[in-house]
Amino acid sequence: MININAITKEYIMGDNKLLALNEVDVSIKEGEFVSIMGSSGSGKSTLMNIIGCLDVPTSGDYYFRDKNISNYNSNMLAELRNKDIGFIFQNFNLLPRLNAIENVTLPLLYSGKNVKERTKLSLEALENVGLKDRTNHKPNQLSGGQQQRVSIARAIAGNPKLILADEPTGALDSNTSLEIMKILNDLNSKGITIILVTHEKDIAQYGSRIIKMKDGKIIEDKKNVSN
Amino acid sequence: MSLIDLIYLSQKSLRSNILRSVLTSLGIIIGVSSVITMISIGTGARLEVEQQIERFGSNNLILRSQSSNNRGVSMGNNSANSLTLKDMEALKNELPAISAIAPRVSLSTQIIANGNNWLTTVTGSTNDYFVLGNWKFENGRKFQEDEINSGSRVAIIGKTVQKNLFGTDSPIDEVIRINKVPFTVIGLLDAKGGTAWADLDDTIIVPLKTAKQRLVAKKFPGDQIRSMTINVSSSELLFKTEKDIDTVMRKLHKISANGNPDFVIRNYAQFLNARQESSRVMSILLATVAGISLIVGGIGIMNIMLVTVTERTKEIGVCMSVGAKKRDVLLQFLIESLMISLIGGCLGIALGLGVIFGVSEYFNWKMSLDYMSLVLSFVFSSSIGVIFGFYPARKAASLNPIDALRYE
Repeated sequence: MININAITKEYIMGDNKLLALNEVDVSIKEGEFVSIMGSSGSGKSTLMNIIGCLDVPTSGDYYFRDKNISNYNSNMLAELRNKDIGFIFQNFNLLPRLNAIENVTLPLLYSGKNVKERTKLSLEALENVGLKDRTNHKPNQLSGGQQQRVSIARAIAGNPKLILADEPTGALDSNTSLEIMKILNDLNSKGITIILVTHEKDIAQYGSRIIKMKDGKIIEDKKNVSN
Repeated sequence: MSLIDLIYLSQKSLRSNILRSVLTSLGIIIGVSSVITMISIGTGARLEVEQQIERFGSNNLILRSQSSNNRGVSMGNNSANSLTLKDMEALKNELPAISAIAPRVSLSTQIIANGNNWLTTVTGSTNDYFVLGNWKFENGRKFQEDEINSGSRVAIIGKTVQKNLFGTDSPIDEVIRINKVPFTVIGLLDAKGGTAWADLDDTIIVPLKTAKQRLVAKKFPGDQIRSMTINVSSSELLFKTEKDIDTVMRKLHKISANGNPDFVIRNYAQFLNARQESSRVMSILLATVAGISLIVGGIGIMNIMLVTVTERTKEIGVCMSVGAKKRDVLLQFLIESLMISLIGGCLGIALGLGVIFGVSEYFNWKMSLDYMSLVLSFVFSSSIGVIFGFYPARKAASLNPIDALRYE
């Protein structure tokens, strides 16, 4: 599903060049649950942003579902994010003025689905995360765990192939974290590929494969046997 | 993303900051209301001038005898009737630009008819008086040639006189007594309505000869008359003819070029020009106000949209992460600024209508609402929204998704 060849990402900060990713190669198959671990500055978030088409590499090739998307323009990338990829963020990133169902509907608005279809898909997504009775609540009327579940619903509403979760439990207590991880596990068992970025070992253990990064390089990549 | 969804999202974010949205549109409000008021004043003035021409006839000059100064002592307004029918003939012969002249004698007197009495002004003149004064007949007819020559006791009356003497009954063929002399009514004039200073319909017209023989023999002896309405063949010749009349009259009355004349020439066009000029100045003033406030308003919108884009950078990043294209973001912000300016446009129209209503009520200044000005306001305010909203919207659309998402 994902094939990354010798991807490098450089940031220029004043006179210094910062190498966030240094010729990284990685390939991820459909249906995998991959945890990417590493301390801050290891390049794990940069890798995830490139996989999620939010950022473009300085050099290297990126094949997404056998298509080389290294030379896609911003509109093509936006469409890819819209149709095939769902994002879950540490701080939820819900729009404060919109209620739960409107937030979930947002990606469907951009894909141009009609109202009937949109409502159906959004309600299904909210039901999947157990928030069918909170559709009209604004984010500030929801708990952290509920907000994260809304953002998961938003990520899955468009039936993506891939879900990228960037520290999804970073702002949550341990009990709520368990709930969220259970939802992600369920999604994975339905065949959705999940890439999870975290620095917490026990959260990373949910993955079937764990990649460890340091200084812009992958230092370890192995199957999670404890799972 | 469909337009309806864009509008829905835009109104959400505008409503979350309603005070800011309204304050931002203040410049547009003032600009649009100025545009509407300006156009209304212009149209109103034009209509008033047209109406006045309709009432008094166009291209007319009034030549009237004036109190003469007798060794520095003014003899009062009616002290001398210096104009004569001879003057009239001379003017007609000397100035080819004059197409017609209606002479006039007048007196104010009591009219008795039908058991009622009424004080009004009686004018003695010719049939030219009706043509030049733009009078239409509601009923009856003009004077006939033999009536004019023989001094028949026939009269044509105005609407107000009819109302006060006959009510709604037809006055035709009825007898009225002017200064105890019986006259037969042969015509009824169409109503012209009042001006600020006189009721034009409060009038009776009789043939000049009849008036001079039977009503004003003492007041206007010989061939003396009170005034004459002079019609000039074209409006371009109006002011030149006014000067020529002055020259000819000074020659006839043996008054030197800088001497005190015993006549006065009233040029109605002068008044109309002044009226038009003052409304033109007012319009220019308002146009300036409108132009400045629309530009300032536009800059205000641009300013607030730039603030909004910065404030919502992270939100833009979120939208992009779930699939918003550059075009979606651009349209979203463009529609927001368009909505601000249209809100301003609507409130401006409301304010403008209020001003128009207030001014026309309070100052009795004729203003006319032009529907074109409403259309124009919408075009103005929406194009300002788009023009000044474009730069901030493009700034939002050109954000890099990851940079926007990381913005704190």
